[in-house]
Amino acid sequence: MSDRGDNEAPGRRVRLRRIDGELILLWTLPAVAIIWIAAFVLFPGFTPPMSPTMPAEQVAAFYRDNQWGVRYSMILFNWFGVGLVPLLILIVMQIRRMAHRTPIFAYAMLGCVAGGPTLFLVANVCWLLAAFRPERKPELTQMFNDFGWITFTTLVPFLIAQSVILALAIYFDEESRPIFNRWVGHFNLLVAAALVPAAFVGLALAGPLAWDGALSFWLKNIAIGVWIVVMGVAVGQAVYRERAEYRQRGEELVSA
Amino acid sequence: MSRARHNPKRELWLAWWTLVVFYNFFFPVFFVVTRVQPPPSPAWDIARQVQWFRAHHFGILVGFAVVFLIAGMTTMCNALIAYSMRRMSVSPVFAYSYLVMYSLSAVPGLLLLCIALTVGALRPERDPELIGWIYDFAFLSFTGTMGVFLIGSLVWMLAILTDKNRVFPKWFGYLNLCNALTEVVVAPSWIFKRGVLAWNGQIAWWLDVVVFGFYTGVFILMLRRLIQREDFGTGPLPDLAPNKVAAL
Amino acid sequence: MTDFETDLETDLATTNKHARFVPGQPDMWAFVLFETLVFTAYFGFYLFYRARSPELFLHSQAQLDLHIGVFNTLVLLLSSWSVARCVQSARAGAYQPALKDAFLTALFGLVFLVSKVVEWARQIHIGNGPATNDFFTYYFFLTGIHFVHLLIGFVVLGVVVYQLRSPMRRSQELIETCATYWHTVDFLWVLIFALLYVVR
Repeated sequence: MSDRGDNEAPGRRVRLRRIDGELILLWTLPAVAIIWIAAFVLFPGFTPPMSPTMPAEQVAAFYRDNQWGVRYSMILFNWFGVGLVPLLILIVMQIRRMAHRTPIFAYAMLGCVAGGPTLFLVANVCWLLAAFRPERKPELTQMFNDFGWITFTTLVPFLIAQSVILALAIYFDEESRPIFNRWVGHFNLLVAAALVPAAFVGLALAGPLAWDGALSFWLKNIAIGVWIVVMGVAVGQAVYRERAEYRQRGEELVSA
Repeated sequence: MSRARHNPKRELWLAWWTLVVFYNFFFPVFFVVTRVQPPPSPAWDIARQVQWFRAHHFGILVGFAVVFLIAGMTTMCNALIAYSMRRMSVSPVFAYSYLVMYSLSAVPGLLLLCIALTVGALRPERDPELIGWIYDFAFLSFTGTMGVFLIGSLVWMLAILTDKNRVFPKWFGYLNLCNALTEVVVAPSWIFKRGVLAWNGQIAWWLDVVVFGFYTGVFILMLRRLIQREDFGTGPLPDLAPNKVAAL
Repeated sequence: MTDFETDLETDLATTNKHARFVPGQPDMWAFVLFETLVFTAYFGFYLFYRARSPELFLHSQAQLDLHIGVFNTLVLLLSSWSVARCVQSARAGAYQPALKDAFLTALFGLVFLVSKVVEWARQIHIGNGPATNDFFTYYFFLTGIHFVHLLIGFVVLGVVVYQLRSPMRRSQELIETCATYWHTVDFLWVLIFALLYVVR
């Protein structure tokens, strides 16, 4: 029965995984999600998304006029930028439970978890820099703005990898008693596909591929948002199911 | 059990092939599509740098778009190398240290260049001085991100040399030292704007790339052999030679 | 593929097997070969650029103190002698003398290090830094990367001392491997000395 556990040396996995506190981390997700949505909506640059075709003067004027909006929302994002990491690690823990022979998928997932928030924070810093000295040369402000937007839009490699790795991990899992249902795998591949256009943001200053466009902005961010909600629910279900199993096993031991 | 039905090495081979595919994209993208390697000279004046951006405009934007798609593949590569250290007789500390170091290496050591050059190419009419700043930022961050690869290689080297499971031959451990030393040799690129030690110099770039290329080719082969030999035990890894009896 | 375990039992067998080919691990010799190739490339670049501006290089070379160079070379040669003696003693089972020789080698290495730092300080003091001209770029680079190899040599000597200390270890193969590395550091210095200080 312990074959669902880690795949290290056989004989080690009679001990159950420590799962205390995971529910607390799980339930931070709705809180973080609300804060993220608030920061997203508060950032004047997202509502509506700034156009890449704005001349330097206009960009400088934007940061002058929206100084506080930019600062507050970006500070909020800076605080909670890594707020989703517990959810991602909960996913890693569930991957460890899958019927894989090696921890390769879990390790790869860990790598992805490290990359995404880092890039987001770089973008965050760039936007905050742009708003710090609005009296700066407009071309300089525009450059910081460019860095922020390009980094924010192109941070997709780790998100794509995350989804693909999770999908593969699910497909490689035991089919009779999977940790995640197979459709979660399909969903992740769909999300990965949705994030692909954003990688090409450099190619256009206007249109759907530009950083304010339908593909690079709306599709990407909506896909990320939907992913957070769906995976939050899926992980939540997996975590609760695991706890139920442990309780059951505990009762069996007691009655044995 | 599904494990008996499927080949248990499937996921290892998946990781290995991801690694191979990644480098098959990486080298053409950097050397052919974007042509940012071999790098242009830090000694050029700003006008020449702006000209470089113009000449490489489309290649940069398309090539790095590809990198933004596939950079996540490096996580599978690092996972496989970390796994090789888990198979060794040494503490898991080595594997996890390596995994963390190399996971965060992609941002300063690869993606910053891609982002910076994309921003640089985005607006050809940008103030030339700013383009000059972006030029420096891109190439220095790329070649000049040394610590993660230096210490990471040393961690792998230490793991290999103290390993009793013979996962890798000792000479491969020493080769990691050679790779780590290239990160020492590239340090002067932060100081010199011309000559053999500049970021495009014969020693700091050309020779280092030869060593790095050789090292990469070798570790790809080593990982392949590891997967072939893998017996999922915890003792010494059996050899591949057909007349050798497996250790376990 | 031969066995590189550090167990005492297998060690004796492997030492006998290798005694015919090379002392220590063949792997270390592969490393030595690789590093020699890399340094050969460095020397190649040096000679190429030297040929392009011979007066500059000659003039700059004249500012190097040949005496310090000779002293450094002697010190490292002595250290090679002491590490060789250490290997011999270990092979004969005389571990205390071997340990003393290992420390002696480290002492020689330390003398070299200090002397090198003093020499660098002197050069910088008289106005010759790494960016002064091409020759001094090579000078500081070659002596610098050699310095790094020497620092690694101290770690390697540490392994020798660690091995010699306890009867549970004392792998002759490992000690010979470490000695090979140390000899390489000496060998590379001799080449650098010849190239930078002597060839004029």
